[in-house]
Amino acid sequence: MPGSPFLMNEGKDMETLAFQGLIGLSVAMYLWLLAAGLTIVFGVLGVLNFAHGSLFMLGAYFAFTFYGLWGVNFWLAIVLSLLSVAVVGCFMERFFLRHIYHMDHAYQLLLTFGFILIFDDAVKMVWGGVAKIPAMPSFFEGTVSVVGRPFPVYNLFIIGAGLVVAIVVWLLFEKTWWGKMVRASASDREMASAIGINIPRLFTGVFALGAMLAALGGALGTPVRVVAPGIGAAMIIQAFIITVIGGLGNLKGAFVGAVIVGTLSAYGILLFPVFELFLIFLIMTVVLMVKPQGLFGG
Amino acid sequence: MKEIIRTESLGKYFGEMAAVHEVTLTLQEGLFTSVIGPNGAGKTTLINLLSGYILPDRGRIYFREKEITRLGPDKRVKIGISRSFQVMNIFPRMTVFQNILLPVLSRLNKTSSAFSSLKGQKEAVGEAEKILGEVWLQEEKDFPAGELSHGDQRLLELGIAVATNPQICFLDEPSSGMNPIERIKVLELVKKLASERKTTFIIVEHDMDIVFSLSDWIVVMNRGEVLAEGKPAEIRENQEVRDIYLGEEI
Amino acid sequence: MKTRVAILVLVILLALLPAIAGKYALYVTIHILLLSIFSLGFNLLFGYTGLLSFGQAGFYAVGAYGCGKILLAYPSLLVGIVGGVVIAGAVSLFLGILCIRHTRMYFSMLTLSFGMMIFSVAWKWRDVTGGDDGLVGIPRAPLEIPGFFKINMTPMENYYYVVLAFAILAIYLFHRIVHSPMGLAIQGIRDSETRAACIGISVRKYRLLSFTIAGLYAGLAGSLLPPLESTVTPPVAHWSYSAEPVLATLLGGIYTFSGPIVGSVLFYLLKDIIVRFTEYWLICLGIIVVVLVMGFRGGVMSIFLKEGGRR
Repeated sequence: MPGSPFLMNEGKDMETLAFQGLIGLSVAMYLWLLAAGLTIVFGVLGVLNFAHGSLFMLGAYFAFTFYGLWGVNFWLAIVLSLLSVAVVGCFMERFFLRHIYHMDHAYQLLLTFGFILIFDDAVKMVWGGVAKIPAMPSFFEGTVSVVGRPFPVYNLFIIGAGLVVAIVVWLLFEKTWWGKMVRASASDREMASAIGINIPRLFTGVFALGAMLAALGGALGTPVRVVAPGIGAAMIIQAFIITVIGGLGNLKGAFVGAVIVGTLSAYGILLFPVFELFLIFLIMTVVLMVKPQGLFGG
Repeated sequence: MKEIIRTESLGKYFGEMAAVHEVTLTLQEGLFTSVIGPNGAGKTTLINLLSGYILPDRGRIYFREKEITRLGPDKRVKIGISRSFQVMNIFPRMTVFQNILLPVLSRLNKTSSAFSSLKGQKEAVGEAEKILGEVWLQEEKDFPAGELSHGDQRLLELGIAVATNPQICFLDEPSSGMNPIERIKVLELVKKLASERKTTFIIVEHDMDIVFSLSDWIVVMNRGEVLAEGKPAEIRENQEVRDIYLGEEI
Repeated sequence: MKTRVAILVLVILLALLPAIAGKYALYVTIHILLLSIFSLGFNLLFGYTGLLSFGQAGFYAVGAYGCGKILLAYPSLLVGIVGGVVIAGAVSLFLGILCIRHTRMYFSMLTLSFGMMIFSVAWKWRDVTGGDDGLVGIPRAPLEIPGFFKINMTPMENYYYVVLAFAILAIYLFHRIVHSPMGLAIQGIRDSETRAACIGISVRKYRLLSFTIAGLYAGLAGSLLPPLESTVTPPVAHWSYSAEPVLATLLGGIYTFSGPIVGSVLFYLLKDIIVRFTEYWLICLGIIVVVLVMGFRGGVMSIFLKEGGRR
């Protein structure tokens, strides 16, 4: 990632590799949150939302506003940010995307591309174009020692949070009634509608869920990552690559893919500074050539 | 009668379900053959396998003794295989004329030329005009194909299938979705094409009147396997076939 | 017949432009011509072949940087432009081979990816591309064929004619291509790739051809930029730059021949107007895209044509 503040000494010994791997794991969690929403929305609605990265960015901006500017409690700020982005997401789906589901996929891509342009400038208009760097919540300050180097506590939190969200989402889809309805609608829309499931409302709900996951990724990043226009666009490429590697529509694949891309990206920065994006692109190309449906796709 | 297509133990499976299983079949050149059977019998899958639209999981396919099992659909067309689709598959934004011109150009291997003008392709244009006449669509030639009536689209579909001058042509339920009047027209066309062209037609059909009036040979499929094959009269008498149709008038 | 007269009048007007308009008008017209070339290539891919690419700016940039580097080393206009085009074509051929094999959705996302990859390289590879400062001091090299002629390009009018000539050539070639058998083949692939395969057309081969040609056109548009501006900076590779031919084509009319050209003119008109009121140009671009997709997918040319027309 450009501007990563955690690249330490140049030594390529085992400790550095292990440390960098842990960095990569924390990066992977942001990517997982972004990719999860993308893959869920695609798997259920069949929509590839280019503007998903913008929702990530909005999550970061909202969280920054609540927590960094208005001094709201950190946890509350995150919840509020999620809700705000969910509203934006619902609006996008209900009034725009819904009307073009039946059209050629190209129009979906064009529409969501238009939204990226809108959101990018909108944040500049509302918050100004300068990047923001908010303060760290006090209970996460400091570092712990990992292989003899200082590893930020916040990163541990991120890794933990990512795992918790993964479990929660999995439970949501496997064990709850809502989750079962969603899975039924994903595999057979007509049948689901025939047994009384309100498909349009369900779809809006799924879209909102995806938006919230993206927003969570953005919001959790605020204490440590820069909040600026375009942060979503930078990550959406990697999120897409992750969903492709893991298999579009596959949550487990997205998680594994995020871990792969996150750690590779961290190593890439260490070992091939200019071309780490190439490395990831290369991996994706290889996966697509060998197994076009993704590692877990079918 | 020379054999034109032969399969050996052809199989296609979707998970645990066998769409096509152990199909060993020989299709003879010049014999108008119908493939019949109840829904889900594997007829369309068989056509898809023979035309190269999908690849088999097991078995082999031979075209005039040459193996073509894994050959892609575009290459199969080049050797003389063609097909039409049950679900309408024309080029909607192109004109009716262009819909026929394109397969003709493809057959004449002209599609690579990027700088010669379409109008200048005299041979192709002439042939396309002729085929348009064969399928009774000259008047509509400049309409966008997507705007044709359903029945006319089917005629166009057949025109595209024969425009590559195939040796063998698979028609997948050519009369499906047609109202009675359109049906008659479509079947007239199939009859006409079969008698006027040197193409062997293999059709998948449900309508027994059509099957028994047009076919020289009938293949009956059930649950992915070939149940019986033979001349129409033999099939009509076949008890097993009668059973699977459970008392329908055949 | 009417069309031919209209085109002739237009060409004559464009040829006379330096005599009747000032330097600024020439400058804007050159940019419109560049966007037209860029958008034609984009539409070959989208309107004619059915492939939506969000990364064409990548090839534009390769052409621009390629031409710039050549001109800095060997100031001869033709060498620079042709060199830029060839390099852009080679890169698009290579990336095309990787991307074309996928379904349309994946393809579109892949194009966004490689577009950003090229941007990232342009931005970071200081040694070669100059990093975020870019290439500077690119000469508006003279148009010369050694031993035959050497025309000074410093006056804007002279360069304008060079660009105009390339634009007319590009449009003419485009016309030949889309009205050729190959042009019909790619339209067939757009309308139904299954059917196209089942009449003997190799879908992969023609998509790759179309993609490479689009890359060449983007490269040409890019190559014509450095002599005009004397600098090349990373933003020309950014995805927001890829949005320009997308919008121009959408505005003008996707399934038409002249849509990209008409759209390019409208694009600059709109941009000129919008920029006077606000610096937030992207949001307006985005809103226009959304409005066009939601309600006006045929673009401006659809007003002039009934369904199925191709002008």
